[in-house]
Parts: sequence; C-alpha cells; structure tokens
Amino acid sequence: MKILAITSCPNGIAHTYMAAENLQKAADKLRVEMKVETQGSIGVENELTEQDILEADGIIIAADKTVDKSRFVGKKLIEVGVQDGIRNPEKLIQSIIDGKAEVYGSKIKSVEEYKKEMKSKQNPVYRHLMNGVSYMIPFVVVGGLLIALSLAIGGDPTGKGLQVKSEFWNSILSVGSAGFTFMVPILAGFIAMSIADRPGLAPGMIGGYIAATGSFYHSNAGAGFLGGIVAGFIAGYVAKWIKSWKVPKVIQPIMPILIIPILATLVVAALFIFVIGQPISGIMSSLTDFLNSMKGASSIFLALILGAMISFDMGGPVNKVAFLFGATMISEGNPHIMGAIATAICIPPLGMGLATLLNKKKYEKEELEAGKAALAMGLVGITEGAIPFAAKDPLRVIPSIMVGSMVGAVIAMLSKVGDHVPHGGPVVAVLGAVDHWVMFFVAIIVGVVVTAFMVNALKKDVQS
Amino acid sequence: MNLSDLTTMELIDVDLKGTTKDEVIDELIAKLDAAGVIKSSRKFKKAILKREKENSTGIGFSIAIPHGKSKAVLKPSVAFGLQRNGVDWESIDGTPAQLIFMIAVPEESAGNEHLKILQMLSRKLMDETFREQLLGVQTNEEAYRLLSTIQ
Repeated sequence: MKILAITSCPNGIAHTYMAAENLQKAADKLRVEMKVETQGSIGVENELTEQDILEADGIIIAADKTVDKSRFVGKKLIEVGVQDGIRNPEKLIQSIIDGKAEVYGSKIKSVEEYKKEMKSKQNPVYRHLMNGVSYMIPFVVVGGLLIALSLAIGGDPTGKGLQVKSEFWNSILSVGSAGFTFMVPILAGFIAMSIADRPGLAPGMIGGYIAATGSFYHSNAGAGFLGGIVAGFIAGYVAKWIKSWKVPKVIQPIMPILIIPILATLVVAALFIFVIGQPISGIMSSLTDFLNSMKGASSIFLALILGAMISFDMGGPVNKVAFLFGATMISEGNPHIMGAIATAICIPPLGMGLATLLNKKKYEKEELEAGKAALAMGLVGITEGAIPFAAKDPLRVIPSIMVGSMVGAVIAMLSKVGDHVPHGGPVVAVLGAVDHWVMFFVAIIVGVVVTAFMVNALKKDVQS
Repeated sequence: MNLSDLTTMELIDVDLKGTTKDEVIDELIAKLDAAGVIKSSRKFKKAILKREKENSTGIGFSIAIPHGKSKAVLKPSVAFGLQRNGVDWESIDGTPAQLIFMIAVPEESAGNEHLKILQMLSRKLMDETFREQLLGVQTNEEAYRLLSTIQ
C-alpha cells in the first residue's frame, strides 16, 4: 500500500514539517509506504511525481492553506487541517486503508485533464521532442506570418514568381526570414534541454545551427528539421551522460557551465561535420524534392494519411507527428502540406459542434455544452475540442472525424491551399497566412458537414 | 549549519516566570530584543499575535511554537523557554504548553538555510525522547547543548 500526503501551513515554518514528520512516523508504524510533500516557506520539497500519484492508494492533505488538488482527480482523498496531521496521523492513514476516503473529482474529464493524463503516459523521447517543438512553434509562426504578409501585400507578380520590391516590405521579409533561421537551433536546443536540463541548451542550439547550415559539412543544403532533431537528441544525451560522471569536488561547480557544454558541443559538432551531416541533408533534400513532385494521385494519398493522422488522436502524438511534418515543410518552401493539415485540424471540433446543433436528441446536456465550446475551439484551430466526444464514444466519433478531416485535406491539397504558419483553422486565413483561402473554407465546410452527418447517422438517440 | 547558529545562551531561559500566554510571549520577546535580533518589540509582537489568531501554535505534546515573520527581525533566531508549570496556550488537546519555542524570521532574507534548520527543529520535536530530555533540563547550558545537536 502506498499513501501520499501534502502538508502546508500559513507561515510554512514549523507545522508543515511536524505534520510531515508524524505522518511519516505513523506510516512506518503501520507498515505503509508514505511520501510527504511539504509546501513550506522553503518552497515545495519532496514533490510528488505523476508516477507517485499514479501508484498511490490514497492522498492525505493536511493543510491550513489551499493546496491544488487538480493532480488528484480520481484518487481517494482526505483533506484536514495541518493540526490533524500532527495529532492524528494514524487515524488518517487508517481511514485510507479502510477505504473510507472519498474519491476526488467528477467523472467527466475536461480537455485539460485528458491532456495531462496523456502527457503522463508519454514516453520520454516523445516528450523531449514535443518540448523542442513547443518552443520552436512561435518562431515559425512569426517567420511564416511575416513572410506571407510581405509577399501578399508588398509582392509584385513577375516572371520569377512574387518579388518584393518595396523597401519596407523587404525589411519585413527579412525579419520573417530571421525568425526561420532560429527554427532548427531552437528545436534542437530545447530537445537537449528537456533531456539534460540547462547544460544541454548550448550544445543543442549550436548543434542545431550546424545541422541547419550545410556549409559546415560541404553540402549545399542543410540537414533541416531532421538534422535538428538528431542534433538535439545527441547533444542532450551526451550532456546527460557527462553529467553522470563522478568528478572531484573542486570541478563540480564548473561542470554545468563549462565542462558539459563544451564537451557536448564538440561531440555533436564533430559528428555532424565528419559523419552524419551529409547523409541527413541528402535525406532531407530528397524528401523535399519528392513532396514537391507529388501531383494527382500521390498527393491525394499523402493528404488522406495526414488528414487521418490529425484526427486520429486529436492533439496526441500521432497528430503532432503530422503537424510537425507540415510545420517544417513550410520553411522548406512547401506550404501546401500545412494547408491540408490546417484544414484537417479544425474539422473534428467544428464537425462535432455542428453535429450537436443538427440533432440535439443524440447528445446529453453536457455534450451540448461541449459542442458550443468545440465550435469556438475549432475556429481557432484547436483539435482537442473534439476530445470530450471521442472519449465518451470513441468507436462512432473517431471514424467520423477522421473521414471528415481526410475529405477536407484532400480538397485543400488538390486546390493548392497553402498555409504559411504552423497552425490550423479559419483563424489562420483571417490572419492572411493562407493562399487560395476561398478553397480553404470550401474544404473546411465540406469536411465539417461530412463529419457531422456521419456521426449523427452512427449515433443513437440518448435515452432520457 | 546548526541550530546553535540561530540561538544563543542569552536566548534561552529554562525558568520562565510568566503564567499566561501573553506574559510568556512578552518574556521571550524581551530576550530577543535584549540580544539585538529584533528592531522593534511592538512590531514583532504584532506578527506573533497575527499568527496566533489564525490558529493557536500550541500543538499539544506540551509544545507551543509562536512564530512571526516580520521586517522587524534582523537575524533569523530561535528563543527557547521552559515553563515548568505549563501555561494555557489554547492547544487543541487542551494540555498546557511547557516547551515554548519562539521563532523570529525576517521578511526577506538571503538563502533558506535558516528555514531548513527550523524544519529540522520542528521534525525533532516530534520525537518523544527528545521532548522528555528537554523537559528534564535544569540549566540554560544543558538546554543549549541539547538544542545544538539539531542540524
């Protein structure tokens, strides 16, 4: 049996720790595994991890201060004052053992809770990658939006495509390009930082810059985002490995700021310059060429896969892989992949929202509310809005949203819809980042209608 | 760091005279004032009473820990007093307080070493043997030596 506790008091000087001590002692006496998080004036100590909470049979909160309980949804929970923790620790533990504690939290999970739960189940490699991606996105947004704006407003059609002549818009274009320049280094840097903490940042960012700059390894093209991901992971794991070395005490203070960054940077740089830089940039170039050459049937196939991936887990790992692919292709000069993805992104929530409006009998009251929220989230390109529906009735909802997104993605792909920012939904067109925006909306509307009708055809009426 | 960094011989009194909570608080504040670790007795007492109002610091086990965080505190300190007859501290178990620790913490101070020590003190007080040893001390020196073992 494992029990967790949190102790806290207003000043956080004495009672917090007395309660912690007594709970621990009582647990030892009752032969129960116990971990106590103290929230005192030193800050949070002995913090409970997701893993602890997952394994726990019950939680005791002994506090005279508000403690955030959102972590404990679905767990047996007792909440008492800190005095009780000091005075009656055994009684508290006993009531958890006897199963007298009530389970905390409601049965309907919110989008936030669901996401949190997903996050705790993720494997570390995916989590590191997503940390990098989340820091990279703003750079791509700024870069993509400024480039798209300067081309749309300041561009003159010439024989060689759009050319920006005005000095003002040319500057905006350069600012946008500057944003793109940071994309791969930031991606690599924050992957490495997620793995090895701060000592990983410099090796990761420098490694990412080398990966993105082909001239380091005598190649015309850089190794792009693929190289950035590889650089980030190498830098991160090398830094983490060096961190684990046993070194004399005198050297310890300079390890994180000097030794680890320098050694890890040299390792990742040498690997790229002498070994893996060229092959990876070769892969990237052929991937880009291949995508650019896709026409007709093969581009339909790609759109079908991307559309299905986006809807399949609504913001989960599969969705993020497709999204990352689209986002990086923008900076490789191909906005059409993202165009199809941006269309697919908003179809699940908009489709489910429309479905609740079309036939109220098939949805419970809570779902009708969730439908309104889903419409709003769909407009700003948040696929997660469909999660409450999919969590409740996955076998009917997920196929419907996947089909809708696939249809929308194919229409967008065939009509050359392009999206210059890594984000989806109508909002990106409003911001002026979409080429062929009329067809973008047509694709969304068709996909939404397909999803709404399909899910309503599959669902039965709610018994009331 | 050790509890002896936060307390001194002059902050210890194993023979408190006060018979009420208020008198004992004044007695210990006077010690802190005499040792020069607080700037203003009045302001520090306000912080102490404010904390007592939220919830009595008499936690039972014959212990009370009046404590205050205030700008009037110059140096984190602990004053210790023993009132052999016990004083009513409105403890939840109704027992009188005999071991009284007054903790003074500055509003802002660099580092949190002193907080760690206070944490160790709080934890140590939950140890029954230690409490009995403290209740049995005869002189200020004895009490000081016992408290210095906390680190």
